[in-house]
Amino acid sequence: MEREKMIEGLAKIVGKEDVMTSEMELQLYGYDASLNRGRPDCIVMPASTEEVSKVVKFARENHIPVVARGAGTNLSGGSSPTEGGIALLFTRMNKILEIDVENQRVVVEPGAITLDIKGAIGKYGYLYHPDPSSEKATTIAGNLGENAGGAHCFKYGVTSNHVLGAEVVLFDGEVIEVGGKSLDNPGFDLPGLMVGSEGTLGMVTKLTLRMMPKTEAVKTMLAIYETIADGANTVSDIVKAGMIPTTLEMMDNLTIKAVEAAYHVGFPEDAASILLIELDGLKDGMDRLTDEVVAICKKNKVREVRVAKNEAEREKIWAGRKGAFGAVGRLRPNYLVNDPTVPRTRLPEALAQVVEIGKKYNLPIANVFHAGDGNLHPLILFDERDKDELDRVHKAAFEIMKICADMGGTISGEHGIGVEKLKGMPLIFSERDIAAMRNVKKAFDPESVYNPGKLLPAEKAA
Amino acid sequence: MSNNEKLVSKLKEIVGEANVIEDPEKLKALAVDGLIPRVMVSPGTIEETSKVVVYACAEKLAVIPMGSGTKMTLGGIPKKFDILLSTKRMNRYNDYDIANLTVGVESGVTLAEIQAKLAGEGRGYFIPLDPQHSQGATVGGIVATNDSGAKRFLYGGNRDFILGIKAVMPNGDIMSVGGKAVKNVAGYDMTKLMIGSMGAIGIICEITFRITPRPDAEATLLFPFNGLKEAAAFLKKLLHSKYYPAALELMNATMAANLKATSALKGKYVAAIALDGIEEWVTRLKADLSEMGRQEGASDAILLTADAHRDFWMAYRDVADSLAKTQSNLVALKANFALSKVTEMVGAFEAALREAGLNGALFCSAGNGILRAVFGGDDSGAKAAALIGKLTAEAVKNGGNLIVERAPKAIKEKVNVWGQTRSDVVVVRRMKEQMDPAGILNPGRYVGGV
Repeated sequence: MEREKMIEGLAKIVGKEDVMTSEMELQLYGYDASLNRGRPDCIVMPASTEEVSKVVKFARENHIPVVARGAGTNLSGGSSPTEGGIALLFTRMNKILEIDVENQRVVVEPGAITLDIKGAIGKYGYLYHPDPSSEKATTIAGNLGENAGGAHCFKYGVTSNHVLGAEVVLFDGEVIEVGGKSLDNPGFDLPGLMVGSEGTLGMVTKLTLRMMPKTEAVKTMLAIYETIADGANTVSDIVKAGMIPTTLEMMDNLTIKAVEAAYHVGFPEDAASILLIELDGLKDGMDRLTDEVVAICKKNKVREVRVAKNEAEREKIWAGRKGAFGAVGRLRPNYLVNDPTVPRTRLPEALAQVVEIGKKYNLPIANVFHAGDGNLHPLILFDERDKDELDRVHKAAFEIMKICADMGGTISGEHGIGVEKLKGMPLIFSERDIAAMRNVKKAFDPESVYNPGKLLPAEKAA
Repeated sequence: MSNNEKLVSKLKEIVGEANVIEDPEKLKALAVDGLIPRVMVSPGTIEETSKVVVYACAEKLAVIPMGSGTKMTLGGIPKKFDILLSTKRMNRYNDYDIANLTVGVESGVTLAEIQAKLAGEGRGYFIPLDPQHSQGATVGGIVATNDSGAKRFLYGGNRDFILGIKAVMPNGDIMSVGGKAVKNVAGYDMTKLMIGSMGAIGIICEITFRITPRPDAEATLLFPFNGLKEAAAFLKKLLHSKYYPAALELMNATMAANLKATSALKGKYVAAIALDGIEEWVTRLKADLSEMGRQEGASDAILLTADAHRDFWMAYRDVADSLAKTQSNLVALKANFALSKVTEMVGAFEAALREAGLNGALFCSAGNGILRAVFGGDDSGAKAAALIGKLTAEAVKNGGNLIVERAPKAIKEKVNVWGQTRSDVVVVRRMKEQMDPAGILNPGRYVGGV
């Protein structure tokens, strides 16, 4: 479709001010937090479900792809319009529509910032548990698109366990409701399918989230180790003891140094690894559980365990963890963050192999990981202007995915496939598995209006 | 060779002669809603299941999968029924990794068997599932119907601890998704799609569960109440508290009369609270909750521990089965609703049953927003059908819906067994069209008539 006609048609729907077309804007909305670059034909900012539906209808009729966008913090290229089209920006639809305490649900618009939602319900004494480290920037629908995880997954699960319903605009503009405030609505688990679908099945225009009452007590500890293996073994032993902490997060030395340089939270720069452990529940028995955890750490040659004495100390420990990627991002111009998951028991082995891969390709790799979930985040540090280095980075990333897949793991624990990991899909899925997924795509979006080129590898020509 | 002979011969080739049943008398007993299959086949592996489905797809034969057959009345009346496919011979543990907290097991294994096995491992583990048919149900059937029980409140449901599924798709393809990783966002979440899909878009052959350590301490508190409002207020307080009990159940007098632990209690309603956790929490919960119950107007709380506690919940799960032994035309309904509407739902259901002159056992997961009603229907089914229509409208009014879990054909024919149609039915139908274009798996039994 002719560019002028497209802009005119879209301006009629959302208003001229909410269609962006300047060169700077096209570049700005062409990339996200991954290494993938695209370029939209224009950026459209709808204010309502009705506008979204009309924009989608218009796009479909004119064969223009639609790529949803929240805050663009996507780490795998899902928000990057690699095949052009309309970048559908949801930041105007950012309201918290209803805090329904009685039903323990909060209904929000897709562009609402995750941390803002938590703040709003926190006033009533409720929690929305998923806590991706980017939560102060991400939009909730972005979390939905990727099935974002975070540090508290070990006990409380991921976004998919807390999204109970959504309003979705389908490829032809039809608006449907999937799930709802109640559980077990008859039919397929469509909310479950929507979460993690990376903007390829439908545009989410409302979300119904589960909120849960705050627990009475929380204990946060920082355990300091001389080796990574000791930390990983501590994690195994805690799990073996039958405990379910809310969090078991680890960082390696390179990450610790970066965090200290950036935030000065008091992490020891000579430690090989630190393990962040958090327990929650009733206050009864919390001290005993804490003692048990400390004993397990000591059994695994811990240097020191620091137990946060108050909320301020707790927040400082968490700040160090949540800011880790940002801190590591200061070390070199670029990083590529891998996101594979292995069975928890294979974690030490996976980490050792990651170190070898770093040596093989002569690349520094900082490691932050959700030790309780077996979800590693090797951050490969490089300068993208060095084309040889960039090439080695992609090779290293693929090898990391492969060794994890070979251990019975997966290539992405929470950041999504996007464009970044398409070539890794055959490591874990057969052609038949992918064929089944293509059927899902066809059931929702038979004309491939939404986010083409993402999540599923291209169908091979017959 | 007749058509049937050809079919039987082909199936014997795939699964072995001993695993094919063609005796008409035996097949009659395996009818689903009055439709008798032409043959029953029991494949021993997912590969054999695949071959059966490939053949069925080519010949346009309708296949209905079955585990132990505890839930065959769920769903619409089948449009066609050629092959009954039993999953019972697929009963292997393909992954048993206690250290990793994962167990991969084939569909034909009963949940009871797995729980017994896990209970004996080290400190003791379990799959946090406590659905109906406690002894007979297979994991395949439980997951395909997304059945759940009281403890879902604390531990979550199938979608919260199933990590992977292997299924035979309607064209015979073997799909293997997920696995041992607890976090997995690669591709679409096909695992969640398959959970509760009722065999409409694939036959689940293997499931990987994330297992949980058994709690250090367990107990149950029973609170008799005379008024529904008081009972609901008590449960509401608990729901919004920091206590996190394992289960928050409410039952009416008819239900209580059917359970040993509650049959002698004086009270029109009984709240049953399960306590799971470390010793200190359970001790605290016992004390605090007893006091709370007193404040909310309950008669003295009864404490159940050890065997009495275990037996109570087992019987609770199996109430519909035990009622089926004595009630003719048994109807079992499952309504879902918004959490705040316990009083409205239980009150409305009671009133409607009373009006219809029927005595029904009502039991409600106040923590999950699920209400089950079990009663004996009338022979013609007209009265029951009218009642079901009324109750469905009530559930929809309260933010949910209603499905018929069990009912004689005469009743099923007169109602929408999947409740009120929702706007997402368009996607349900398209999904079925894409996945099963030949319409061979469980035709007519799922939502939207697919």
